[in-house]
Amino acid sequence: MKINEYYRPSSLEDAYLKLQEDSKNVILAGGLWIKKMGQSINTIVDLSTLGLNQISENKNEVIVGSMVTQRDFEKSEIIKGLFGGAIAFSVREVMGVNFRNIATIGGSIMGRYPFSDVICGLLPYDVTLEFYPKQEISLEDYLNYKGKLNAILVSIHIKKEKGIGFYKKVKMTALDFPIINFAVSIVNGKYRIAVGSRPMVASLAHKAMDYINGLDKIDQESYKKAAEIASEELSYLDNKDASKEYRLDLTKVYVKRGLEEVSK
Amino acid sequence: MIVTFYLNDVQVSYLVKPGEYLAETLRNHGVKSVKVGCNESSCGSCTLLIEGKPMMSCSVLTASIEGKHITTVEGIQEEAAKISRFFSNEGADQCGFCNTGFALTIYSLKRELKNPTDEEIKDYIVGNLCRCSGLYSHLKAIKAYLKEE
Repeated sequence: MKINEYYRPSSLEDAYLKLQEDSKNVILAGGLWIKKMGQSINTIVDLSTLGLNQISENKNEVIVGSMVTQRDFEKSEIIKGLFGGAIAFSVREVMGVNFRNIATIGGSIMGRYPFSDVICGLLPYDVTLEFYPKQEISLEDYLNYKGKLNAILVSIHIKKEKGIGFYKKVKMTALDFPIINFAVSIVNGKYRIAVGSRPMVASLAHKAMDYINGLDKIDQESYKKAAEIASEELSYLDNKDASKEYRLDLTKVYVKRGLEEVSK
Repeated sequence: MIVTFYLNDVQVSYLVKPGEYLAETLRNHGVKSVKVGCNESSCGSCTLLIEGKPMMSCSVLTASIEGKHITTVEGIQEEAAKISRFFSNEGADQCGFCNTGFALTIYSLKRELKNPTDEEIKDYIVGNLCRCSGLYSHLKAIKAYLKEE
């Protein structure tokens, strides 16, 4: 890997302008994936001194600075207080403490990594991304956005709502990427189901959600049926970690289990 | 470029390349206690403390630590000697390559967690690989070390 220049911007505007100068200029968040990919970079623009590492809340939402580390995020009492601690729990599944002290929430989201625990863990909630220049996009829309968004992630807004969540990362060892991961929630009485690492970036299982949220009476059979729909509507592939069939079977088991858990 | 930071409370200024990582900088300047195993933020051998928090120095750009406090095992000698005694009592100390990263992680664990359960200890040391042992001896050594205080 080669980095020609390191740049510490004085403001978001400064960072944005530097980013526009050259297509090989990149933002440094945690920097872990940049290191792994070994790409050739002209100028690396470090956001660490712009004060984007704060978590705050108001009556309606929790606002997480894009440079908050995964470790600070999972330890935050504000985050632990959301949805029975499900979001905080999902981030604890990433590597070790010495990794999560470097990795940032913003970096995890912007990379749209297929294996991301952060993305899958946040997806079944009302999450909006705030960018510079000023622009707001829901997390789901950002994941579906084609191409590279020419903007800097400033903060992540998590809407405070009544609900609870379930998170499951299926992995071979503590340091592995997930074979597949699941996040299920019930928010204001409505179920939401996200499945990631299939091995593609996490998606909401809309058909399964529509099915279960449209029922008048929900029982064990409805959980099972919703899990089956989730396994049919999303795409799954083979990779070196697991086969497509195995992922499909895991979906039937864990979506059902997730729905049961959040319904208790 | 020149980067100035505090290495075990001593101010140092090093000439570094923009793309240089902290483990490399420190080893270039004789701090050989910082071990580089995988060099891709998996094994934890290069763990040191930045502003008191354990991080893998193979993946932190030196340029980004301007003005910060870095602690290597030389900075916690007394505690490291204690940890090392508990390691040898439990047979956790074999080839020794992972020891410095482990010592700094355990030092930090003690400060961050109060009365941790076995599961909490195991969670905290994920990302510090020992290829000699099964890590069970480490768990026993850590529990004995935490109990001693």
